[in-house]
Amino acid sequence: MDSMYYGDVLVVDLEAGTTEQVDFVEVDEVGPGLAAGLALFEKYRDSDPLVFGSGLFTGTPVPAACLGFVLGKSPLSGELAVSPLSMFAGAEMKLSGFAMVVVKGNSSKPVYLWLHDGVPDIEDASGLAGMDTWETTDAIRREMGESMIQVISIGPAGEAGSKLASISINYWGSGDTDALAAVMGEKKLKAVAVRGLGMLDADEPAEFYQKAFELFGGVKMAKGFGPVTEALGGPDLDKWLEPLMHRTRACFACPGACSTFVKYNEDPSVMESSDVEEPGMLVAGAAAALWLMEGGWEAEPACRAMEYMARDGIDMIRGARELSGKPVSGTAEVEAAVKGLEGSEEAGWPLGEESPYGLFGAWVPPIAAADAWLEANRVGYVLGICATFLLLSGVDMNALCELCGPAAGIETSPDEIAAMFE
Amino acid sequence: MRRAAADPALDGFRERFLGGAPRVAVYCGEGASHSWIWFADLLERLGIYDVEFVTEAAVLDGELARFDFLLVGGGDTYAMAEALGGAGAREIESFVRSGGFYHGSCAGAYLVLSGVDLEPFTPFDLIDAGMLNVMPDPPPALCLEHKYLAPYGSEWVFHPVYGEVELVEGDAPAGFISLNGAGPVGAPLFGGPVLEVADPACRIADYGGTTDRAAFPWPREKAERLIHGRQAVGRNEPGEGTVLVSGPHLEHPLFPRANAIMAEAFAGHWRRTLEAGRQASAHVQGASLELRGDAAGAVLEIKRQVSNARIVGFGLEKLPVTWRIGVKVWEPEKIRMFLDYTWNRLPYIERRSAEGTLPVQRLDELAAGYSEVTGLAKRLKLKAESGQDSQAEALSLLTRLKELTASFLSLYFRLRLEERGSDRNTLTD
Repeated sequence: MDSMYYGDVLVVDLEAGTTEQVDFVEVDEVGPGLAAGLALFEKYRDSDPLVFGSGLFTGTPVPAACLGFVLGKSPLSGELAVSPLSMFAGAEMKLSGFAMVVVKGNSSKPVYLWLHDGVPDIEDASGLAGMDTWETTDAIRREMGESMIQVISIGPAGEAGSKLASISINYWGSGDTDALAAVMGEKKLKAVAVRGLGMLDADEPAEFYQKAFELFGGVKMAKGFGPVTEALGGPDLDKWLEPLMHRTRACFACPGACSTFVKYNEDPSVMESSDVEEPGMLVAGAAAALWLMEGGWEAEPACRAMEYMARDGIDMIRGARELSGKPVSGTAEVEAAVKGLEGSEEAGWPLGEESPYGLFGAWVPPIAAADAWLEANRVGYVLGICATFLLLSGVDMNALCELCGPAAGIETSPDEIAAMFE
Repeated sequence: MRRAAADPALDGFRERFLGGAPRVAVYCGEGASHSWIWFADLLERLGIYDVEFVTEAAVLDGELARFDFLLVGGGDTYAMAEALGGAGAREIESFVRSGGFYHGSCAGAYLVLSGVDLEPFTPFDLIDAGMLNVMPDPPPALCLEHKYLAPYGSEWVFHPVYGEVELVEGDAPAGFISLNGAGPVGAPLFGGPVLEVADPACRIADYGGTTDRAAFPWPREKAERLIHGRQAVGRNEPGEGTVLVSGPHLEHPLFPRANAIMAEAFAGHWRRTLEAGRQASAHVQGASLELRGDAAGAVLEIKRQVSNARIVGFGLEKLPVTWRIGVKVWEPEKIRMFLDYTWNRLPYIERRSAEGTLPVQRLDELAAGYSEVTGLAKRLKLKAESGQDSQAEALSLLTRLKELTASFLSLYFRLRLEERGSDRNTLTD
C-alpha cells in the first residue's frame, strides 16, 4: 500500500459487473486529489465515468481533512462538475482503502457499491429501487449491520434523471448542484456505501502527525453558521434556527462545527434519544437555509422543506432558491411545494460576491474575491480539505502544502496546485 | 501489538528454537476465552511455527505425546476442568512428567494448582501451590462487579485488582534475566490467581505492586496489601518436564517484557530437552497432503467476510451489552479481537496465494465459515440493538469464531513452517 493510498485506483465496470484495482502511475505527473480525478476522467472519458475521489490528506487529522468528491459530466451544463463528499463520507471512503474509484459504463440492473477494508463489492440494489435517501441509508446500514457506514446515494429524483437531482450523503444531501445524481441514476448506481477500519500510512508518520496536530491546535472557530453568514455580511441564520436548534456538528477532523441539527417533531431541548422516530434535520449547508430565510419562510416549514428535498434527493440550493419568496406553512403545503419544484433555478447564494462557480459548483460560499475563492477550492479538493474552512480559518495554505512531504513524499505549493488545473 | 513486535525484549530468542523446532499445542477447547490467541503472537515472534490449536478431545485422546509444549490461557477454568475431567488431568500430568512443558496463565494456572481441588477440579500433582484470592464473604466490589467473583465450594474466588500489575523477582529468579533488568515488569492481571507457592525454589516472580492502568474492585491500598510479595509466577520441574503457572497474562502482546519471562522459561526447558536428547514424536504435516490449487478466490472471500464481520463487530462495541457464558463475562470487543487475528495475517496468505498454490478446500471451508460468522454477527447485533436477550446468538457466534480462528491459525502456522522448511538457514523474520 502506498502512503495515503496515493496512486491506488479502483476501476468499476458496471456494464461487465467487474472491479479492478490499478496502479495509476500518472498521478506523479498530474497531482493528487481532484487533479488526479480530472486525469482519470479523461483517461476513461469514453465510458462516461463518474470518479469518486479523495484528497491527499482526506481521512487524516489535518484540520478539516474531510473532503472527497464526485466528478462527472453535468447533465445540466454538459461540462465537468464536482460534488463534494463532506461530513464523514470522504474520509470513510479513503479509510475503506480506496482513494479513487472510477465508475464506468451503465449497469443493466440497480446496484450499489460496497467498499470496505480494501474489498470492492458490487451488490444487487433491486430492493432499494424507488427508495428515498433516508430509506436507502437505513436499508444498507441494516443489511451490512453497522450504523457508521457512509452511504452516498440517490433518491427518486436521481433515479428519474431529474435535473433537480442531487447526490445525498446519508440523510442530509450534499453540495451536488450539477445533477450528478442523475448520472448515477443513468448508471443504475443507487449508492456507494463505504466503511473501513484501516489506518492511513504516511511516509514520515511522526513528522506528519505532529505537524498535523499542531496545525489543528492552532485553529479556533465558532460553532454554527455564524462565521459563514458574518463573512457574507448577511443576516443571522443561527438566530433564525435557534428555536429549533438541538446541536451543531462538525465534519470529520474539522475544528469548526458549522452544521446545525434542528428538531421540529419534538422539543429541541430534549438531548437524549426519544421515541420520536424522525426528530429533525441536519442543516448541512447554509445556502439553502439562507434562500428560504431571505425568501420569507419561517424556520420550521423551511426545515421541513429541506427535509423533503433531502429525502427525495433534490438539490437543496436550487430547490430553496425556487421556493424563496413563496413561503408556505403546514406540513402538507410544504410537501406539495417541494413536489411542485420545476428545477428552473440556477444554483448560487442569495448574498456575497459573485463567484466563478464553474467546475466547483456553489457549495462553498462566495465569501472571498474570485481568485481567493478559486484557490481555496483548488487546494481544498487536491489536499482533501474543506474549502469553506480554508477561507474562514485563515490557515496557512503553504503550511498545509508542506505536509505533503511527510505524508507521501510529494512537494507542492498553492501555485503548483493552481497549475494542475490549467 | 506493533509495540510488542518491535520491542527488543524478544531479540535473541528466535535462534534458540531453530535447532529441532519445538512442537506446541495451544489449548482452545471448552472454557478457553479469547486469550489463547495471544500465544499465537508470541510464538510467531519467537519464530516457533510448529503450532497446533487443540481442544480437550486431543488431550483425552492421548495426543499430547505429539507435542513438546502445552499452553493454556485464560477463560472459564470451571468449564476447562469439567471438560478435561480426571482423565484429562492425568494426561497432562503424564505429559509433563515425561518431558513436556505446561504453561498455564490465569485460568490455565488455577487449573493445575494442587490447592485447587474442590469439584469440578481434579487435584494435580505438578506444583505445590494454592490461591490466596479466595474467602467466604468478600466485601462488595467497588467496580467491575460482573468480573469480581466466582463461586468456589462454599467460598468465593475474588479479584481485588484488574489490569496492569508489577512483577518483581521472586525467591528463585535464576535464569530469568528479564526480571532483574530495568525495574518491575508490567503484566496484565485479568482474574488470575494470587499464588501461594510452597517451595521457595519454585517462586519465580512476585507481585510488586499495581499501576494506574488497573481498576480496583477493592480499595487500591487494600488490594496492594493483599498481593504485595505474593507469588505471581511459579515454576516446578516434576519428572523430566516443566510446569510454569502465572496469575498475570505473560503472553499478552502489549507486554513485551512479560513475554520475555515466558520466552526465558521456554528456552530453559527447551535446552533441557535438547540436552536430554528428547523431543516429541514427529507427526505428519496435514496441510502438505491436501489438494492444492489457485486459492485467490477463496482468499478474497475470506477477506470479504472477515471485513464484513469486523465492521459489524465494531458496531456491536457501541452497544451496552455483555454476555455471561459459564462464569466468564464476554464483552463485544472480544469478537473483533478474534477477527483481527485472522485479518492481520491475511496479507501473508494473500502473498502465498499469489506465489503458488494453497490448500483450496481448506480455504473454501474457512470462507464459508466466516460467511456464517458474518450472518451470526448481524443477527446478534439486531437482537442486542432491540434490547432482546442475545445470549444464545452470542454463544453461537463466539463458539464458531473460536473454531474458525483455531482453524485459520493452524493453517497459517503450517504455511509458515512449510515456508521455513525451504529457507531454514536464512531465517530473518
